Amino acid sequence: MPNRQTDWPEEFDLDGQPATPEPDFELEIIEPEAAPEPDQAELYLPESNPEQPEASPQLPLSEEMQPPRYAVALQDGREVVFQHAASLLESLEAQGVDVHYQCRDGYCGSCRVQLQQGSVHYHKEPLAFIDEDEILPCCCIPKSALKIKL
Amino acid sequence: MAYTTFNRNEFDTFAQPMFFGEQVNVARYDQQKHKIFENLIEKQLSFFWRPEEVDLTNDRKDFLDLPAHEQHIFVSNLKYQTLLDSVQGRSPNVALLPVVSLPELETWIETWSFSETIHSRSYTHIVRNIVPNPAEIFDDITKNEYIVRRAISVTEYYDQFIELSNYYVQLGEGVHTVNGQTIDVNMHELKRRLYLTMVSVNVLEAIRFYVSFACSFAFAERAKMEGNAKIIKLIARDEALHLTGTQHILQIMARGKDDPEFAQIAQECRDDVERIFAEAAQQEKDWATYLFKDGSMIGLNADILSQYVEYITNQRISALGFDPIFPEVKNNPLPWINAWLNSDNVQVAPQEAEISSYLVGAIDSEVDTADFGDFDL
Repeated sequence: MPNRQTDWPEEFDLDGQPATPEPDFELEIIEPEAAPEPDQAELYLPESNPEQPEASPQLPLSEEMQPPRYAVALQDGREVVFQHAASLLESLEAQGVDVHYQCRDGYCGSCRVQLQQGSVHYHKEPLAFIDEDEILPCCCIPKSALKIKL
Repeated sequence: MAYTTFNRNEFDTFAQPMFFGEQVNVARYDQQKHKIFENLIEKQLSFFWRPEEVDLTNDRKDFLDLPAHEQHIFVSNLKYQTLLDSVQGRSPNVALLPVVSLPELETWIETWSFSETIHSRSYTHIVRNIVPNPAEIFDDITKNEYIVRRAISVTEYYDQFIELSNYYVQLGEGVHTVNGQTIDVNMHELKRRLYLTMVSVNVLEAIRFYVSFACSFAFAERAKMEGNAKIIKLIARDEALHLTGTQHILQIMARGKDDPEFAQIAQECRDDVERIFAEAAQQEKDWATYLFKDGSMIGLNADILSQYVEYITNQRISALGFDPIFPEVKNNPLPWINAWLNSDNVQVAPQEAEISSYLVGAIDSEVDTADFGDFDL
């Protein structure tokens, strides 16, 4: 328990503030940069790039537990790599592949794509109707290298 | 085949088709033939909202400030949506419940239809806020030539099915004479009408609503009528779930998963399905032209809205396993709409006011005294 008596500052100004010397440097007021007005359209989308973990750091993974890194080939010849994103849809978008979407929650079915090779894991049960050879990228991640057709 | 509210037969639930099997008895959900309907019920219940929770005080001011042609766009869309939800708030119950055979599907139909009644209530809430006399708007729905024209195409399949199904429930299959008229009630025709009704309902939920949605969100992109847009966002979320419901019903039918006759009917009706989608798309485009007859609104005109109708029609018909009707339209001409149709679950900071599931009445309606600075009597 510290001795309260001796912890008190010795001198007080009239208004109760401890007397401190004026700082010997010029105070510079830095105007905060005006935050850009967000477009309504962007309000609901993640701001960081889900495939650039440096921009949105996460806990380091152990040696044994590496992120699921899988090549995703599109039927039109484009190739991307899934590595950090929370869903296949986010990963594709971050790498410039436009996929139709609406709810991003597995119930509207707008993002349905055809799975030609590989398998996926659903982290949320999809509600929308999907055929046996189709997947909903908004609620799954790859379990192997994939080949898909938009 | 008279309708009974509690079927006392004992039967195997798993052997029943969705429609035209044994009539339902115990509303039990421990055994489910199609678990998807239980999931849809759960999801719909989790979406529950009340229109009164959304603050519309700023919308009144916004509405009075809108130029006349934009007021026309806003009010016409509201009338049309009121029509659509009036139909959907009752017709699934009236048409489908007498012939349904699975308790989980029966409850899904009731839950689905109930949520449409909330939409209808929200239109009254919106109308009360923007005009002193709501009757001006509601009374016009049955008089306005453009709305009536669309009401006919929205309801014709329902009405045709209900007409025949009423005879079936009362008299059963066979050729009957009622008031001197010969009525042929056969199962194939009943199922065909039911299938086409489901298709036209799917079109209603998946395409017809989206022209009005686009206009509401276009207003809100300019920070006008934001309370309304918040309600429409909740309605759009429900409609996306409903269209998934009808897609499931149609696909279970088309695959003959529980009634092979429906697979055959779906095959026979492929041309009809394409025609129903194409007609609806054309009607929606005509509607867009009517909306913008006195002038467009910023960010939206009849052309771009028509393209959006074509895009969404392609999407919805592909989901049923058909080729797109407008193959030249590949991309969404109004990409910003997706931000409004997006579910809230992607947001990671739920305290933000934009998230409707967290704060429903979160439109800022604060008025500062400084706002009256240039106000003098």
